Amino acid sequence: MPGQFKYGVSVYSYTDDFGSVMTLEDAFDHIADTGATGIEILGEGQIEGFPNPSTAWLDRWFGLLDRHKLEPTNMCSWVDMRLTLSHYLTVEEGAAELERDLRLAHRLGFKFLRPKFGVTSRDLIPETNWEAYVERNLDLAAKLDIVICPEIHSPTPINHPVTQGYIDLIERTGSDHFRLMIDTGIFQDRPLVHWGSHQVTDEMREHMAFLNGIAVDPEEFIGIAKYVGFVQAKFHDIDDELVDQQIPWRPVISAIKRSGYSGYMSSEYEGLRAPWRAIDQVRRQQVLLRQLEREYDDGGFA
Amino acid sequence: MLEHQLIQSTGFRNFGPVGAREGFAVRLRLPNYHGTRLSMLDGFDVTVDGEFFGHERNRLAIRDEVYTLDELRQETVRRWDLTEHASVLVDKAGGLTPGIHRIAVAARIRYSYFPPDVHVFMMRAERLGTVVMA
Repeated sequence: MPGQFKYGVSVYSYTDDFGSVMTLEDAFDHIADTGATGIEILGEGQIEGFPNPSTAWLDRWFGLLDRHKLEPTNMCSWVDMRLTLSHYLTVEEGAAELERDLRLAHRLGFKFLRPKFGVTSRDLIPETNWEAYVERNLDLAAKLDIVICPEIHSPTPINHPVTQGYIDLIERTGSDHFRLMIDTGIFQDRPLVHWGSHQVTDEMREHMAFLNGIAVDPEEFIGIAKYVGFVQAKFHDIDDELVDQQIPWRPVISAIKRSGYSGYMSSEYEGLRAPWRAIDQVRRQQVLLRQLEREYDDGGFA
Repeated sequence: MLEHQLIQSTGFRNFGPVGAREGFAVRLRLPNYHGTRLSMLDGFDVTVDGEFFGHERNRLAIRDEVYTLDELRQETVRRWDLTEHASVLVDKAGGLTPGIHRIAVAARIRYSYFPPDVHVFMMRAERLGTVVMA
């Protein structure tokens, strides 16, 4: 039998609820109750006083991990390339941002750090300095045992120079502390109705065609699986019959299982931001993914 | 805690001396899904009852500090945390009359990881709000 997935939930799923109708304590409760073992956060989001949380906050964090038996999985971070309208980060400044986030992620117990680099084109070609930021931090990542994993996110598909550029760095450096994060939104094959808090309009579809789904063939996951460190299980809407309205989970799970991937599937809800809606949507996805994995393991589909 | 929506009910009020109000404030939660460096905010357009107040002139009050647009654009250290509120300060002699007003806000957020043509992303919200005190 191939490796088993680990199941996690990203607090990003609860955007807009978090801080208004949901505390950090509530988020831990909701996540742990799904049976998930991992919690993913936005560093500059869930960490009060980022990038320098107080000792009281750190105590609270570790107390919650302990009480809910959750392990920190991935921390999301951003490298603000265009720091001001006229000042773009230098290599030194960008590397320092990444170092700060690596150290903070390590302090909180995370094993993965997802930095979001600036881009310079419509198809999301990252700024040229990204490579230098990463290379200057590979030794530190190894020392802290954190895997830096930039995200392959719609509208960037798997077969694309961006993905290849990241793979080239893995091959060239031989580092096992730099891997890809795959966001399952790339497999979306039906249009979005809501994109987070935004009702998708015709104008948005015109400027952001990816909202209709870029429908990457799930089979392509197999070819890059050895470079993948983490999967964000992005989704938007699972109906009352437990049918996902945008992501074709059956072929996606089939391909990921056949690839031998046995890391985290971290739920990332990005649908309608009505108060409390995300809580049950995450539960629906967790049961849907687990059912499919079990069905695959039992030979129910290939 | 914050209200779920971007534009908060509390904090919609006049400022300046009673009888000689200088303007009004609109309290917001962070118009972004993650905490944000102030320099990544490019101002806030506000429209009240159809009257437009452009982002170039509106200021942002966060914690005990007030930033003009130029100051906001240069502030690369201080941040707006996800669970904090801040207020857009709008100059308007006399302020707003007590009662219900239609408020629209367009928050201009810069995302380095969005394509250059949408580096400034408009987060819009609209609602009715109530000014209590003249």
